[in-house]
Amino acid sequence: MISRGWRMAAVATLVVVLVVFLTPYIWIFLTSFKTRLDALADVPVWAFTPTFEHYPKIFIDKGYLPLVWNSLFVAISSTLLSLTVGTPAAYVFARYDFPGKEDLFFFFLTTRMAPPISIVVPMFLLFSVLGLTDKPIAVILAHTTFNVSLVVWMMRGFFADIPREIDEAAMMDGHTRGGTFLKVLLPLAAPGMAATAVLCFILSWNEFLYAFILVAFEGRTLTVGIPGLVTPHGTLWGQVAAVAVVATLPILLFTFLVQKHLVRGMTFGAVKG
Amino acid sequence: MGVSFNQVSKVFADGTVALNKLSLEFDKGEFVILLGPSGSGKTTACRILAGLEEATQGSVFVDERDITGLPPRERNMSMVFQNYALYSHKSVYENIAYPLRVRKIAKGNIDSRVKDIARVLQIEDLLDRRPSQLSGGQAQRVAVARALVWNPDICLMDEPLSNLDALLRLQTRTELKRLHDDLGHTFVFVTHDQEEAMTLGTRIAVLNEGELVQFDIPRRIYHEPATRFVAEFIGRPAMNIIEGEITEGLFKADVFEVPVTGQPDGPVAMGIRPEQIILKDGPTDEAIGFELDMLELVEPDTLLFVNKGNASMVVRVMRDVGDLVRGSQIHLEIPHRFQHFFEIGDGRRRL
Repeated sequence: MISRGWRMAAVATLVVVLVVFLTPYIWIFLTSFKTRLDALADVPVWAFTPTFEHYPKIFIDKGYLPLVWNSLFVAISSTLLSLTVGTPAAYVFARYDFPGKEDLFFFFLTTRMAPPISIVVPMFLLFSVLGLTDKPIAVILAHTTFNVSLVVWMMRGFFADIPREIDEAAMMDGHTRGGTFLKVLLPLAAPGMAATAVLCFILSWNEFLYAFILVAFEGRTLTVGIPGLVTPHGTLWGQVAAVAVVATLPILLFTFLVQKHLVRGMTFGAVKG
Repeated sequence: MGVSFNQVSKVFADGTVALNKLSLEFDKGEFVILLGPSGSGKTTACRILAGLEEATQGSVFVDERDITGLPPRERNMSMVFQNYALYSHKSVYENIAYPLRVRKIAKGNIDSRVKDIARVLQIEDLLDRRPSQLSGGQAQRVAVARALVWNPDICLMDEPLSNLDALLRLQTRTELKRLHDDLGHTFVFVTHDQEEAMTLGTRIAVLNEGELVQFDIPRRIYHEPATRFVAEFIGRPAMNIIEGEITEGLFKADVFEVPVTGQPDGPVAMGIRPEQIILKDGPTDEAIGFELDMLELVEPDTLLFVNKGNASMVVRVMRDVGDLVRGSQIHLEIPHRFQHFFEIGDGRRRL
């Protein structure tokens, strides 16, 4: 039993954490309904007459709606691509031994160690040689570079959690190695894949730098659209907030959908019977 | 016809020799036990037969067909794993049906076959459950059902009983034996438990340090152990072994002396099973005097730990020992026909 005192302390801590995390979000949410005057008020205004002008203004009049589709397309594509490439690799890392295995595995992690800003210029040059700049494919590939390593790292843990005997039972039951992977191990690792997919999606959806450098016009994502609202006449805070609120919606949705799997996935016990 | 290992060796990447030139032959329909302590190579032998492990050298034949290089799915064998290895995302029914589905058995046949084998193993009530809702004993039955449902040539079992508690282990053991008697499948059963081996096996292959020590029916394994290792591994408590020397029909170790017959002179290890020593009420011509060091009650039997000089032995008596206490002098007869003699060096049985 946890004592009463500890319980109270735990609850208090959670409340503090919640306040710290939620305040900016609530602030942005309220700002998206404030007039320009209210938004810039010196003493923050809590009670105000809401205005609904920002949402239609930014998404319809200024044509930001396609940016939402671009972001979705990029995030989903990059997630699928990362899973397709990374999951079999993770399986190999979890099940096979080969010389230099751990070094190679670590190498996957090092791709995330370099600051993105140092990679983005060479990447831009590469894509312009290939003629891919200003196309969503460039951003998808760029996002895949960091998501693949995430997939390999997370999925290796999930596969390692599945007893080897399951593979062997599947092979005795008549599967090839490939069949074992596709028909038995993938379904068993599905909760882990869901959690990994959500993380990939969020990372890609939120990513700014690569998207900003690699596409300028047609393929712009939502994050890249926001700086456009910093105008010579001042920052349009209401519209920035409206875009930000919309930008958090898919993340909220996905997180709630896979919450159970996410927790199970992060604690790496996903398939123990 | 049957299964044969031809000089099969397995050396792991780290240099461990798991199997050293194993040669073993048995027929279809047998219940073969691979018995040995950990590291004896018994599991490796089983996995090589299954195709889950590649032999470094040698070959394996089933019905005169060389299966050495075949993947598991082409060997017509099934396996029951120590941890059962059930698919946790499928129902019990689907677990049992799975090998039939993978092997593309006609859909109409699947249902009746699953239900038939479920009836044999008395798990009909569990078919809708998930593996996580099963007890150890139930999971074990499901694993056996999955292994037998498609009538494989050989069913391999890698220590399938060792995760069960003691009572359940005994029950399941009896059921496995009945299953074998009724269905006539070929079983290869890996265990380190000599009692399991003795009760289940039609023949037992005793392995030690990667080598086959003896392959025989349980009776012969018990009565004519081929080496000192087998003698001590089979039977509980273990066979008493006393090292000494025979001179002119008399075995001598320190002050312990016993007459023997038909044995040439020389250094030797004499073995006698605890349950084959006879406790006498008083001194007789054949009896030897010992000092009682310890006494353990294993109802209904009694274990007596006795000494004579440097020689010490365990005796298992199946009767009331009355007022014997530590330090008592007792008289034991060591019958000629139960004496075993092994070479001191390599432990081989003396003829």
